[in-house]
Amino acid sequence: MIKKTLSFILILLCFSNIKADELNSNDQIRYQSLIEEVRCLVCQNQSVAESNAELAKDLRREIKLQIQEGKADSEIKSYLLNRYGEFILYEPAFTQKTLFLWFSPIILVLMFYGWFKKIGN
Amino acid sequence: MTRRLLPLIIFFVLMGFLAQSLYESDAELPSPLIGKPIPEFKLRNLITEEFVTNDQIIGNISLVNVWATWCVGCEIEHEFLVELSKDSDINLPIIGLNWKDDDQLAKLWLNQLGDPYMLVLKDPEGKTAIDFGVYGAPETFLIDSSGIIHFKHIGPLDREIFELDILPLIGELN
Repeated sequence: MIKKTLSFILILLCFSNIKADELNSNDQIRYQSLIEEVRCLVCQNQSVAESNAELAKDLRREIKLQIQEGKADSEIKSYLLNRYGEFILYEPAFTQKTLFLWFSPIILVLMFYGWFKKIGN
Repeated sequence: MTRRLLPLIIFFVLMGFLAQSLYESDAELPSPLIGKPIPEFKLRNLITEEFVTNDQIIGNISLVNVWATWCVGCEIEHEFLVELSKDSDINLPIIGLNWKDDDQLAKLWLNQLGDPYMLVLKDPEGKTAIDFGVYGAPETFLIDSSGIIHFKHIGPLDREIFELDILPLIGELN
């Protein structure tokens, strides 16, 4: 129990550096999930939520501002995509170009299933 | 026999792809802004403090160079920019975008190292830099006379890159 409480507090502490006091709780959740989806382009292996790079700070401020202006998640994402390209979002959009990417795990599983079945026989 | 070898073949093909991507340069990301007009902005001129809008900087084929005094790569490329600005054969205006910088330090930098810029705009909050899709200074954009972005270079610019990538494009645009 103590362990659980402690780790919960620790997790809370991790997020304590991200201030967005002025957002209401619903917007706060949107803000949090958006900044976790956005790649910090300077550091590339961190999200904008995790990074302390100047650009990440600017992008967090901009995302927060747009939420306060009443922009939808999709509008904020296209704002980022139009400037930085696909790479800025961790999850690639589902388009014709990324069709193979999205289906490749299923294709691979089916291939291996067929192969194992043949070996088994 | 071939059926047994198939997984091994797939494995090596996969390794081939992975090895290839190891040697690929991933430093530069493609910009979605190529072929599009420069973003709208209203920024202050570093020296005169007057407001300048995006419409006011277009009209000539020119370079937009994003720089800051805190940026190490900017110091490396600065000498080349000064050299380029003096080259009357090429005659290419350079517009500076001073990104998240201190005014006094920026002016001192230009006084000491030379000023290659036709004008310098300051973007203390980095909002216009985001509109340009900037993620690391220095970055240099080639724009045509109607303000369309044709090329973007990330990292210090030097004569080799300029002659290889930018000069031929200027030739085409003329």
